[in-house]
Amino acid sequence: MDDTLSDAPSLVTDPPVIGAPQAAPRPMLTMTGVVKSFGANQVLRGVSLSVAAGEVVVVIGPSGSGKTTLLRCVNLLEDYQQGTVTVDGAPIGYRIDPRSGQRQRMSERDIAASRETIGIVFQSYNLFPHMTVLQNIVAAPVRVKGVPRAKAEARARELLALVGLSDKAGEYPVRLSGGQQQRVAIARALAMDPKLMMFDEVTSALDPELVGEVLAAMQQLARDGMTMIVVTHEMSFARDVADRIVFMEGGVIVEEGKPEQMFAAPRTERVRQFLKRYNDRYRI
Amino acid sequence: MLADLHFLARVIPALLSGAVITAELSVLTFLICLVWGLLVALARTNHGPLGWIAGAYIQTVRNTPLLIQLYIIYFGFAMGGFPLSGFMSGLLALCIQNGGYVAEIYRGGLQSVSQRQYEAGRALGMRRWTLYTTVIMPQVIARVIPPMTNQAISIIKDTSQVAAIAVMEMMKVAEVWVESSANTYDVFAGAAIIYLVLTSIAGFIGKVTERRLAFAQ
Amino acid sequence: MKMLAPLLHSYWYLFRGAGMTLLMAGAAVLPATALGVVLALVHVFGRPMARAVLQVYLFVVRGIPLLVLLTFVYYLLPLTGIDLPPFWGVVLVMSLYYAAFMSEVFRAGIESLPQAQWDAARSLGMTRHLMLRIVIFPQALRLAAPPFVSQCVSLVKATSLVSIVGLWELTMASREVVERTLAPFQIFIGAALIYFCICYTLALYGRYLERRSLVGH
Repeated sequence: MDDTLSDAPSLVTDPPVIGAPQAAPRPMLTMTGVVKSFGANQVLRGVSLSVAAGEVVVVIGPSGSGKTTLLRCVNLLEDYQQGTVTVDGAPIGYRIDPRSGQRQRMSERDIAASRETIGIVFQSYNLFPHMTVLQNIVAAPVRVKGVPRAKAEARARELLALVGLSDKAGEYPVRLSGGQQQRVAIARALAMDPKLMMFDEVTSALDPELVGEVLAAMQQLARDGMTMIVVTHEMSFARDVADRIVFMEGGVIVEEGKPEQMFAAPRTERVRQFLKRYNDRYRI
Repeated sequence: MLADLHFLARVIPALLSGAVITAELSVLTFLICLVWGLLVALARTNHGPLGWIAGAYIQTVRNTPLLIQLYIIYFGFAMGGFPLSGFMSGLLALCIQNGGYVAEIYRGGLQSVSQRQYEAGRALGMRRWTLYTTVIMPQVIARVIPPMTNQAISIIKDTSQVAAIAVMEMMKVAEVWVESSANTYDVFAGAAIIYLVLTSIAGFIGKVTERRLAFAQ
Repeated sequence: MKMLAPLLHSYWYLFRGAGMTLLMAGAAVLPATALGVVLALVHVFGRPMARAVLQVYLFVVRGIPLLVLLTFVYYLLPLTGIDLPPFWGVVLVMSLYYAAFMSEVFRAGIESLPQAQWDAARSLGMTRHLMLRIVIFPQALRLAAPPFVSQCVSLVKATSLVSIVGLWELTMASREVVERTLAPFQIFIGAALIYFCICYTLALYGRYLERRSLVGH
């Protein structure tokens, strides 16, 4: 990744400094042994994942593999039966009691507070339809973090400019295209200054010609140094932007590795089959 | 309250005989309205004066109380020289009112069947009659069952208003017994329980019918 | 013209009756709505115990005719020694009755919001209280407004039932006039017209709200 000019406005408030000597990449997200069942159906069968600060991880795999559930477990939109999640060293949702070694659920207040460090963009129906674009973006900073409204609005306009939607600040979401709505959703999540951004198939519900603008915004975000986990079917994005690709199937991580290696020479047969269709069409 | 079993022994048969009238009124109204409501709904699809009349009819019965309609029919006919029995007046008023509501239910059901179904049928070369009977109506029937069940329950409850014109359905029976015995609680509790039983039966029949006719929507 | 004479003489009395009808409906609507919102929240968020009690309440209220409840309270209230004027007794019963229906309307509004709205609000770190206040309620109430107005129309029509237990409002007023003038057709139809004006206006407002809520989504 290139470094960014430090005084240019950035999508990321506090980017990790690339190129500075560091002992080891500090882990931003650590998931350990997450098991999640919906009734009798075990959707996540013990998933462990570590994401370093500034790293972009793309999760791919067939439908029903548990990719979406994985993201939803990180910020406890879904409850999980086993495992822990930490973001930047702080536990989310469950903490381990030092005496008993058992995990205990954090209070709802703590959970809500810890969600501020994680941003997530969903596939559709993201924005609040009864608020304007600007109101959508400032609602959480003002009311959850207590940021003064003027300051929140200034930052909101900055973010809108960076995703290329400055002129839409006063519009209602219904007047925006799907691609524009998703870009606003990204700006809204960023307004909370998260340390980690997650994207759950954010372009899957879009018309093909709108996909590009959203991927471009995500690419810019990656360049600015944001730690990202992206679930997507857009293989070109995975190949070009990811630092690491994770392949999931049947509730477990089957294989992970750098994009060049995964696409050219996957170690697992299942991954090879999955990527074969893409490779055949685009001949890397 | 549980003590007076003698009283209960006399009240219950009376309430049950009232319940029979209630049930008769309800079932007759429902069956008649199924047909009448369909006719009104079809009339409403007409783009000429018939459609307008049907629309006005529906709006009128939906925006006036059943009780007033009841009084108009009962007293009106009496004054006009063709006195109708309380039961008949009640039946007529209930049918007129619920016919409007049932017509709206049909309309909702017809509207909710996607335009594509019509197109698909016509593309297969079906003519109007076949299209309606084999493709459209079965879907309409399936979608219409829950609101119809609710309407049936509503009808059962509306029969109580017929007590106002002295028909010995359950509400009136209860009233008479309360007035003559001061045993308010038991009588009304009994009536309430029987109403709950009747409405629950209607609800149950509705659910069973829904399950039986459920194809993938 | 001669036929309309009884109506022309008494219309003012009927208007006063309509005033009482509106007063009664207005007095019942407010507590019914407030309680309806509370019950809807209990239904969506409450603990299993609370929800079970609520289900029983809903089952009973929706399965028993309002008239039975009104009559029951009318006979029972003097016996319990509570000194409540009949007007308020009736308003209380109607509020409790319609709260059940309102709560279902509001619950449907809340539950019809896409899951992503809840997810987005929670993901931004909003607590439940804040989320309900600025994301869920504004949308749910907008969706619930048309069926809510529909329930209000139903409530206005239901006030006619209090005439059966002897309270004075439009229906009772029209009965009195009919007894005096022996012109049931004209008077009751006149009353029906007044009800129609009130209810149809409300219904049109409801349809306006429905159109507006579709535009915003």
